[in-house]
Amino acid sequence: MGLVTPLLSLLRALVYVFLLAPIVVVVLASLNAGNFLTFPPQGLSLRWFWTFLNNDVFIDAIVYSLILAALATAVSLVLGTMAALYFVRHARREAEAVRIAVLLPLILPEILTAIALLFFFYEIGIGTQYKIALFTGHVLMTLPFVFLNVTTSLQGRDDAVELAARTLGASRLTAFRRITLPLIAPGMATGGVFAFIISFDTFGISFILKGTGSAPLPIQLYDYLRFNFTPEAAAVSTVSILLTLVLVTVSNMLFGRD
Amino acid sequence: MTEVSLLSLVKSYGKSTALKGISLDVGHGEFVSLLGPSGCGKSTTLKCIAGFEDVTDGKILFDSKDISRKLPEDRDIGMVFQSYALFPHMTVARNLAFGLEMRRMARSEIADRVARAMDMVQLTPYADRYPKALSGGQQQRVALARALVIEPAILLLDEPLANLDAKLRDEMRGFIRDLQKRVGITTIYVTHDQNEAMTMSDRVVVMFDGEIAQAAPPEDVYDRPASERVARFVGNANILDLAVADQADAETSLSLPGGGRLAVTGGADAPVSRLRVMARPEQIALTGPGEGHIDGRIAKRYFSGGHVEYHVDTDCGTLNVLCPTTQNVAEGANVGLSFDTRRLWPLPGAAHVTAEPAA
Ligand SMILES: Nc1ncnc2c1ncn2[C@@H]1O[C@H](COP(=O)(O)OP(=O)(O)O)[C@@H](O)[C@H]1O
Ligand SMILES: [Mg+2]
Repeated sequence: MGLVTPLLSLLRALVYVFLLAPIVVVVLASLNAGNFLTFPPQGLSLRWFWTFLNNDVFIDAIVYSLILAALATAVSLVLGTMAALYFVRHARREAEAVRIAVLLPLILPEILTAIALLFFFYEIGIGTQYKIALFTGHVLMTLPFVFLNVTTSLQGRDDAVELAARTLGASRLTAFRRITLPLIAPGMATGGVFAFIISFDTFGISFILKGTGSAPLPIQLYDYLRFNFTPEAAAVSTVSILLTLVLVTVSNMLFGRD
Repeated sequence: MTEVSLLSLVKSYGKSTALKGISLDVGHGEFVSLLGPSGCGKSTTLKCIAGFEDVTDGKILFDSKDISRKLPEDRDIGMVFQSYALFPHMTVARNLAFGLEMRRMARSEIADRVARAMDMVQLTPYADRYPKALSGGQQQRVALARALVIEPAILLLDEPLANLDAKLRDEMRGFIRDLQKRVGITTIYVTHDQNEAMTMSDRVVVMFDGEIAQAAPPEDVYDRPASERVARFVGNANILDLAVADQADAETSLSLPGGGRLAVTGGADAPVSRLRVMARPEQIALTGPGEGHIDGRIAKRYFSGGHVEYHVDTDCGTLNVLCPTTQNVAEGANVGLSFDTRRLWPLPGAAHVTAEPAA
């Protein structure tokens, strides 16, 4: 009994170290003044951030990833919220099937979803052209996060509130906008942040479906690291870690848990 | 003047039929309860009236106008839900203002009406609270005020007291009833609690299996139930199955197991050999052995503060007798039972069971 608590504390500390150490290493490596990606860094400097900011390839990739994530998140938010509303409010016998179908991209290995989509889009003659396959992949990958968060914010909620609004004179749309939407907004925000980060971060789907032309950031980083081993890669990673952090913090401030 | 008319309302969900032809007229300002066991279709009836469900067949008239195809927001109803269904992200005042905002009323008018409504349900100090910071009874009053502040033509309540504890429930009963009378609004109230239905309503509509079994004032439903099932649902009922000794126009004489006679008014239209009559527990009095209509033996005695309830074994089965506490008899004692013959009620429908061919 007396030994369990300190052991658990140690275990917890180890888990944190395990989770956070790589991030710390990357951030420190990006501040490296030397020419190679080494740890511990040889002197501190922001020079690799400067290099990165002047590298159009990475800037393009970041912009591309941000736009892709924003669009995928927007579509996921609409589809995922509708799926969640259907699942919680209306689905009866088919509920479990609906849930599994939406969550499948989360359950299956990412590479399987990617390959399946690749086959599908070649089969219908589009292939990886026009970024449609890539975009579809990103929506599928992010959909479960919106669905799960909105589902959670709907469950345990009283269905009757929307009906109450109707009897008070609100149309279906007004009742949704004034009553249901504010109640699920925190779930949508959390789901949206998750979706954005997943899309910004995902590798397998992008790697298989990207086609020719500009590529999302993780792919560009991977390409870069195959031939170069400079701290610039760490600088890019640090910037994307910061972007993520900002996103989470802002959404927490706006829609903090109640 | 009839405010609400249900004309042969039928509601089916796929193959199952929740309402099998409900017809009911509710008068202007009347308080009508739908009473029945869980699953009998009370809520479905209310949902059809509110417009949450399309009716499969039949019509719903408000003031003689068919509104069966209208959307809920166009029906001019106020509704109170069992769960209260308050908007959790709005304060009490904003909850009350919602319906008025939907009617595009001027700000000052809204503020005015909300203030009056809050005063009516004694919630003025809580205007800026959120629903979760209120007690169950307070939430209930907010729900009531929110439904009434829009001054709807009809008020619908679906088991509004089911989530309250017993004491508060009794209080709210009186509160709702008084408010309804004061406002004079036509009200349909759903409950599975026969006490609630009896104490609050002008008329009680007893429902079983998607059908109306009886629609009558509480006294009638209690004293003159339309069937044995109604008799048993709206209170304790002693049912005596007795042989008919003599059948005159307005009176039927029944023979009792001990050799005595029991005269009841009314009874079957056609000549019958047996009749089932109902006696409520408080309509039977304890007497000395041999002094009442039949004799029996006290099997169980339950003291409940206001009265004593006896289970008495007799040749007509075990009868429930409710007495004032001044009348105290021990278990095992031999007693006589005397019926309040004016209130004995021959159950309709029971006659056909043993009807003899007309002579
Ligand atoms: N949406 C629905 N789908 C299928 N059956 C339903 C639905 N709503 C109610 N029912 C059925 O209709 C019957 C009446 O239900 P309800 O009106 O809720 O009963 P009550 O309110 O009297 O307890 C029940 O058998 C119930 O199972
Ligand atoms: Mg119900």
